[in-house]
Amino acid sequence: MGKKDEHNFKTPEGYFDNFHERLMQKIDADEDTQKLTFLPESDGFSLPKGYFEHVADNVLSTLDKKETKVVSLKSYKKYYYAAAAIAAVFLIFFGLNTQTESPIAFEDLANAEIDAYLENAELDLTSYELAELVSLEDAQLNDVMDTPLETENILEYLDENIEDIEELNLNFEDYE
Amino acid sequence: MIAEEALIDQLKSPETREKAFAVLVNTHKERLYWHIRRIVLNHDDADDVLQNTFIKVYRNIEGFKGDSKLYSWMYRIATNESLTFIKQRSKKSGISDEELKNRMVENLEADVYFEGSEIQIKLQKALATLPDKQKLVFNMKYYQEMKYEEISEVLETSVGALKTSYHLAVKKIETYLKAD
Repeated sequence: MGKKDEHNFKTPEGYFDNFHERLMQKIDADEDTQKLTFLPESDGFSLPKGYFEHVADNVLSTLDKKETKVVSLKSYKKYYYAAAAIAAVFLIFFGLNTQTESPIAFEDLANAEIDAYLENAELDLTSYELAELVSLEDAQLNDVMDTPLETENILEYLDENIEDIEELNLNFEDYE
Repeated sequence: MIAEEALIDQLKSPETREKAFAVLVNTHKERLYWHIRRIVLNHDDADDVLQNTFIKVYRNIEGFKGDSKLYSWMYRIATNESLTFIKQRSKKSGISDEELKNRMVENLEADVYFEGSEIQIKLQKALATLPDKQKLVFNMKYYQEMKYEEISEVLETSVGALKTSYHLAVKKIETYLKAD
């Protein structure tokens, strides 16, 4: 049975108990289906006719090719061993003959060469690996920046990169 | 989901792997293709990245622990492959990622598999100005019609943060499109 108020209107049993929950569901549903009028219906991409019919075959044949490639290398294994043995003999021979000369030390390498190597080589180090290799104890942030970091640069960065910007409790109007 | 668990078991077993893999590719190829295409823009590049994505899935299925749904895991691989593709190409060309993205949009005008008019080109230009995360969220939500919960699982980001990203993306796109 519904509840009566002073004007004798009735509401279904428990109507107000989950009102907020139902309202939020409706808001979410509206937001999910909302079309943005300033955007085109389609983003204009198309593709070759029948493209999807061959995707599975193409992937499987690429996989086959790559696996075949690995197997075929084995047949050349004996040549690699022979080449490695010859190279080892040459290395020992020339190594013995150059014992009288002083070996090149790491310090002898020009800094420019090291810089060039680091610049051009595919090191593929992650940020964490770099952090372990390079001591930053005495470095200041502005030592590695081409231009000094201004407040507006930081705010711009935060706007573009921080996922939940609201958690920072910043006032948007201050920097928009 | 029982069907998904069964498929994963078949993928992990050498006897049934190839057949199960064909089922997997046919089930997910279209959604993954469009996800990749909206990141790399060009059809041939999207085809290459899609193939690499499925090859990575095939090679790494043994290590899939089932902590997330299979499609979320595949979407994550597709996203990483697409972003890596852009980074590698910009490195090879000796230009920044931003410069490359602008060139990719310019190339769309001559692309036979892009039937967009001026407004669609402008939309892609607007999208190219967004940070990767905002662009991904916008495309997944608006054009791929994914739910926030699904996107959350793929991008490993909270629903609240995704809503903020989407909101910011929409505002920036609207401002860009309305500016002359």
